Amino acid sequence: MPDRVTEAAVLDALRKIEDPDLHRDIVSLGFIKDMKIDGGKVSFTIEMTTPACPVREKFQAEARAHVSQIPGVGSVDVRMTSQVRPSQSEIKNQLIPGVRNVVPVASGKGGVGKSTVSANLAVALAQMGARVGLMDADIYGPSIPMIMGVTEGPEIVDDRRIIPPAQNGVKIISMGFFLQEKEAVIWRGPMLIQMIRQFLGDVEWGDLDYLVVDLPPGTGDIQLSLCQTIPLTGAVIVSTPQDVALKVAQKAIALFQKLNCPVLGIIENMSHYVCRKCGERDDIFGSGGARRAAVDLDVPFLGDIPLATEIRTSADDGRPILLSDPDSPYAKAFLHAAENVAAQISIQNMSGAAPVKITF
Amino acid sequence: MDADLSRTPEEISRANQHDVKIKWRDGHESVYPARSLRLACACAACVHEFTGHTLINPTSVPEGVRPLNILPVGRYAIQITWSDGHATGIYAFDRLRVMCPCPVCKYSPPQVLPH
Ligand SMILES: Nc1ncnc2c1ncn2[C@@H]1O[C@H](COP(=O)(O)OP(=O)(O)OP(=O)(O)O)[C@@H](O)[C@H]1O
Ligand SMILES: [Mg+2]
Ligand SMILES: [Zn+2]
Ligand SMILES: [Zn+2]
Repeated sequence: MPDRVTEAAVLDALRKIEDPDLHRDIVSLGFIKDMKIDGGKVSFTIEMTTPACPVREKFQAEARAHVSQIPGVGSVDVRMTSQVRPSQSEIKNQLIPGVRNVVPVASGKGGVGKSTVSANLAVALAQMGARVGLMDADIYGPSIPMIMGVTEGPEIVDDRRIIPPAQNGVKIISMGFFLQEKEAVIWRGPMLIQMIRQFLGDVEWGDLDYLVVDLPPGTGDIQLSLCQTIPLTGAVIVSTPQDVALKVAQKAIALFQKLNCPVLGIIENMSHYVCRKCGERDDIFGSGGARRAAVDLDVPFLGDIPLATEIRTSADDGRPILLSDPDSPYAKAFLHAAENVAAQISIQNMSGAAPVKITF
Repeated sequence: MDADLSRTPEEISRANQHDVKIKWRDGHESVYPARSLRLACACAACVHEFTGHTLINPTSVPEGVRPLNILPVGRYAIQITWSDGHATGIYAFDRLRVMCPCPVCKYSPPQVLPH
């Protein structure tokens, strides 16, 4: 009489697979769905927390290998899907009910490539299959419309609902849509809060896995307003390798930590130079500074983006490098950083304690 | 990443008439008198971002100010809407625990952990 395959035996076999980011086995994480056992035929789905999972294929192969070793199992069908977990919060229902994770991109100082990184991160996440929005909160120098090549502004319906234009698979809203060229605006705290509320509450974001927010440089009112208006999943800090830039990045990190907004990690931009001809890497600024700073500050290092004319020209042309030259090492660097961001987000969302009960 | 139980609330409820009670996961209970909690708001309008100076004028806050609504913010804080219309303050759990006004905590306040 052949061995009868049980669900428990299959789950036990799958318990041997550990998620490298969450440090727990995939069964206790609840990733296994839709298990069917029909004689010796076993099928199930592994539901990942990020579409960007770098270990997808590995999980699938390991799952098949472990389960086939169970006596009586003839065939194993492993399907892979992903479902981005929402940030653990209830307040979000007020302003942006469909948005699961709000991810501000910040830097202590200007010109480090925050907008370029935000745009490419958003495109990378969208390419990985996530639903993504990009909010340009840089009211002083909104540059997202240019970088993303947006030519049409938002549509306003019913006098107040704002439909964001979508470009490169990303829904986009920018202060640039609402300002006349070169118009100087002096924003004070309450106006900022007002604007942020509007960008959140009046914009039809729909259902989003990630809303990437390009913040203005520095550590001022807008960072505070944002943290105090909506729950943030965690901030991505962009820095160049130079000492000064890292010192200010440290300030940005300190601000988020003071506000109790988790920091997802640091991306080092304009990190090193890759010679177009020979492919050799040249650490003009002494790269790796941000990596060391990440260790010192005890925040994850999310990746380094080389300094490359192509990254700048593609941004100037409104076609992020991920689309204009997807096979280039530059596009791969952004993709890799985006995978790490997605992984850190699922870590944040899975690691929380049970939500607090409020009966006030 | 184990959450520190002393900084993780289990339940937030009403105490007395309008005061806020927090039961922490380590078993401790804190009761915050409504008005002193309103005066302890750390939002940008109430405290200067860099100098840390208090900008709020206590005489402008009504004697009987009370929370109307409390909502969670992420996993780290609550947002309180006050009867005087103020609602921009976010109270982080870390800070709330350090602020516990009970006699035990007053004389041996828990240390603020470095992040
Ligand atoms: N990795 C890179 N390689 C080459 N050029 C880059 C890179 N990243 C950004 N740049 C260029 O550097 C300039 C500044 O970048 P960007 O506008 O993204 O910075 P920012 O931090 O958003 O600046 P601001 O503080 O003005 O908002 C742009 O011309 C951009 O094209
Ligand atoms: Mg910018
Ligand atoms: Zn306040
Ligand atoms: Zn106490």
